[in-house]
Amino acid sequence: MPPTSQPPQRISVEERLFSLVLALIATESGLTKAEILETVQGYRQRYQRGGDNASLERQFERDKDDIRELGIPLETIEPLDESGSNHNLRYRIPKGLYDLPSDVSFTSDELMLLKLAAAVWREGSLSSDSQRALTKLNSLGVDSTDPVLGYAPHLRARDAAFEPLSKAMDRSQVVTFPYLKPGEPAPRRRTVAPLAVVLHEGRWHLHAADQESGQRRTFLLSRIVGPVTPVPGKTFTPEPDGQAHHALEALDRLWEANTARVRVVPESEAELLLRKRTAGEAGPAGRAEEPAGTDQALILHFTDIDILADELAGFGPEVLVLDPPRLQEAVMERLRRVAEAHAAPDGEDTHG
Amino acid sequence: MAEQPTRATDRLAFLLSLVPFLMEHDGISVADVAAHFDVPADRVREAVNLIAMSGIPGETQQYLHGDLFDINWDEFVANDRVVLTNLVAIDDSPRFSAREAAALIAGLQYLSSLPENADRGAIASLMAKLTRGASAAPSQLAVAPTDSHDAIGTIQAAVRAGVQVEFNYLDAQGGHVLRHVDPLRIESVDQNWYLRGWCHLRQAVRTFRLDRMSDLTATSTPAADHDEDVVVPSSFFQASEHDQWVELDLPESALPLIADYMPERAGTPDAAGRMRVSVRVAHVHGLKRLITSLGGLVTVAQPAEARRVVHDWATAGIRRYQGGV
Repeated sequence: MPPTSQPPQRISVEERLFSLVLALIATESGLTKAEILETVQGYRQRYQRGGDNASLERQFERDKDDIRELGIPLETIEPLDESGSNHNLRYRIPKGLYDLPSDVSFTSDELMLLKLAAAVWREGSLSSDSQRALTKLNSLGVDSTDPVLGYAPHLRARDAAFEPLSKAMDRSQVVTFPYLKPGEPAPRRRTVAPLAVVLHEGRWHLHAADQESGQRRTFLLSRIVGPVTPVPGKTFTPEPDGQAHHALEALDRLWEANTARVRVVPESEAELLLRKRTAGEAGPAGRAEEPAGTDQALILHFTDIDILADELAGFGPEVLVLDPPRLQEAVMERLRRVAEAHAAPDGEDTHG
Repeated sequence: MAEQPTRATDRLAFLLSLVPFLMEHDGISVADVAAHFDVPADRVREAVNLIAMSGIPGETQQYLHGDLFDINWDEFVANDRVVLTNLVAIDDSPRFSAREAAALIAGLQYLSSLPENADRGAIASLMAKLTRGASAAPSQLAVAPTDSHDAIGTIQAAVRAGVQVEFNYLDAQGGHVLRHVDPLRIESVDQNWYLRGWCHLRQAVRTFRLDRMSDLTATSTPAADHDEDVVVPSSFFQASEHDQWVELDLPESALPLIADYMPERAGTPDAAGRMRVSVRVAHVHGLKRLITSLGGLVTVAQPAEARRVVHDWATAGIRRYQGGV
């Protein structure tokens, strides 16, 4: 009977994926693609013996990606005697690598902390990643203790670049994106090997190897102003672990090494917000000794002079940059550009 | 989180997690499973139905009875309880993916810089366990420690004692007002901390940024009991009838930089890629800081008053470098 003679029953995506996982765990020696398409629930209903199964094969390729995305170790075995032949590749999931190691267990208190950690991410891909991790944790059957009430710390990772970048990192995939460097008027296309994504001083940074210059560069995720797209066929050799740690250390060193001195108008927003970030030299004790009505001098650390210049320019007359001179120039330049762009049209008095 | 639509991969993760859990909890009620996984009971029933009919092709490649999971159907249908009677292929919890482990580890890094999670040893051992429980090295994701805020401790103590807090608050126009607030919740977004509470001045729930507070103290005045009657809104940005619309000109590529203001497109980009959008603001004094911090990339088009406020703000800034005040 030709398989096309009756409409195949509708098998849901999760049923097909679940059946594929079960079949690949149950097999010791692995299954070939043809065997999978012919026998596994969700594929076999659509398989045409001796016919064209191209779309079903593409479905299988996507399903493999989805399963690997879940952290399931789907292996490809190349038959020893027939290397190079794509046809007889066998697929399987080794149970020993699938199962959570038996010494990994969690107490109720630990589970409570992990739930809080998952709740840190309220939106975006980090949120769905951590919710899935919680689902897996729940399978262990441990009940968590109640978290501290009235307390909901969360971080945003909603920059659109976040998800494509973390995918590309996992696949060691070179990507390209338009980057609007702080202080520059127009974006420029960058092509990089993404190595780590880190949150430092409230900003998400990408640490990456720039493919043009060959240098390590740090990018602000918020300044990636267009889609992050993979460069087809271009992958890179993954760097050893600890890239994120190195990236944070490098940012810390930079932050430590760079200082700016600014005066702020007392009681202003600038004073209130910047004082919390001072290096300590002009701390609360210093504040009391300053004569009333005098602008306060603060010392600020920073990682990127253009980002700090953007920020300080926003405070307008509340901040006066003392040094470094390059920062002073950058702030003045921004203020001038803003003033010019908002000047009244010719012949009209600004103050009407 | 339970009401969000789920993706097929999320549902697969649920199926794979449910099997080992059901193995360990023979005869558990659907309601208890739903509570444990924090999902609707119907989702549990659907999943159990699917599991009970799934299995492996087996030697015959026909999915015969012994190659399928099975449950005690009478118990399931009549009593809403789940008893697995046959197992296939899996009997253990799945490992975490590199990204799942990384998301939890980064969340833990953030929590570990908060005062009440100061037990670094416990957190470090937890991170090591997550790494060991992942099928690949966790993705390179890290969160630098944040400076914890003294105010958090004061507010938490006030929440526990059930008393009002009192502080001087700097609003966006630059005014200081003494506020009395029944603290409801502390939240942080990125590096900024916020207090959500019942403001006695405004007679409404308000959000206060901790770094705009000064002279914060816990009072001895009991806070009112708001548990039942107060809904804390999930968004920080509450629209009001006093808001005004401002039109901005900007290159299309700069749109993400003003995403917080939820701009509405008011036209298509011109040949040079510049476009016009409208944003809703409570007053132009917050906006002038944003526009000036964007260094001329974004300009205010309308109304003229808003343009003037921005112009004056930038000009006053320049004057400070020219010896003026």
